[in-house]
Amino acid sequence: MSFREKSAWVTLITLIVLSITFALHVPHPWTLRPAPSPFLFHVLVMAIIAFIAIEVVAHIVIAIFSPQDVRVPKDERERLIELKSIAVAAYVYAFLSLGSVFTIHVGANEIGVGYMVLLSFVVAEIVNYALRIYYYRRGF
Amino acid sequence: MGKTRIENRIRRLRFDCNEMTQQELADKVGVTRQTINAIELGKYSPSLEVAFRIAHALGVSIEEVFSYREETPEESRAGPRTKR
Repeated sequence: MSFREKSAWVTLITLIVLSITFALHVPHPWTLRPAPSPFLFHVLVMAIIAFIAIEVVAHIVIAIFSPQDVRVPKDERERLIELKSIAVAAYVYAFLSLGSVFTIHVGANEIGVGYMVLLSFVVAEIVNYALRIYYYRRGF
Repeated sequence: MGKTRIENRIRRLRFDCNEMTQQELADKVGVTRQTINAIELGKYSPSLEVAFRIAHALGVSIEEVFSYREETPEESRAGPRTKR
């Protein structure tokens, strides 16, 4: 398994675990009236800090165990895999974020819509990294 | 995903080059071992530049490494084999 595939696994697992953890602390978006509590803001900030910290530590660990892979620059196949995955993820993000705006017509308030847009971004990133792993496993 | 129509003899030529490993070839070409493996298995068609670098690393001409297999009438009726 190449360094970049391991990196994609780390990012995917971190995203999924932190998203689920965050979602467990977020009340239903429709019920966030009139404004989310400071506790929710702290959870959001902690989730972002935890994501950065886990990414940095995990990538250092991967680099220690396979130092020769880290030095190899991205080759054309890896760049194409990234581009293909990002292209699909961009469609997912566009579709879901547009859908988020429509939730205002079914009872969500502006805070709820904000969190739906955040969810759209996270789902798009999960799709992005899941696709990268799929293409890496398949060869291209 | 099906194989591409570009066939190659990399495995055979590596064997002829003192049993060169995929990693050694990858280092010479400047790609990852996984990319060499994908090319060898016909799952990925390299760019012209990488194809030339592979041929150069193996000490042969590009025609000796890669060849293009013509489409059979059955394949033609079935449509494209690979989507890129």
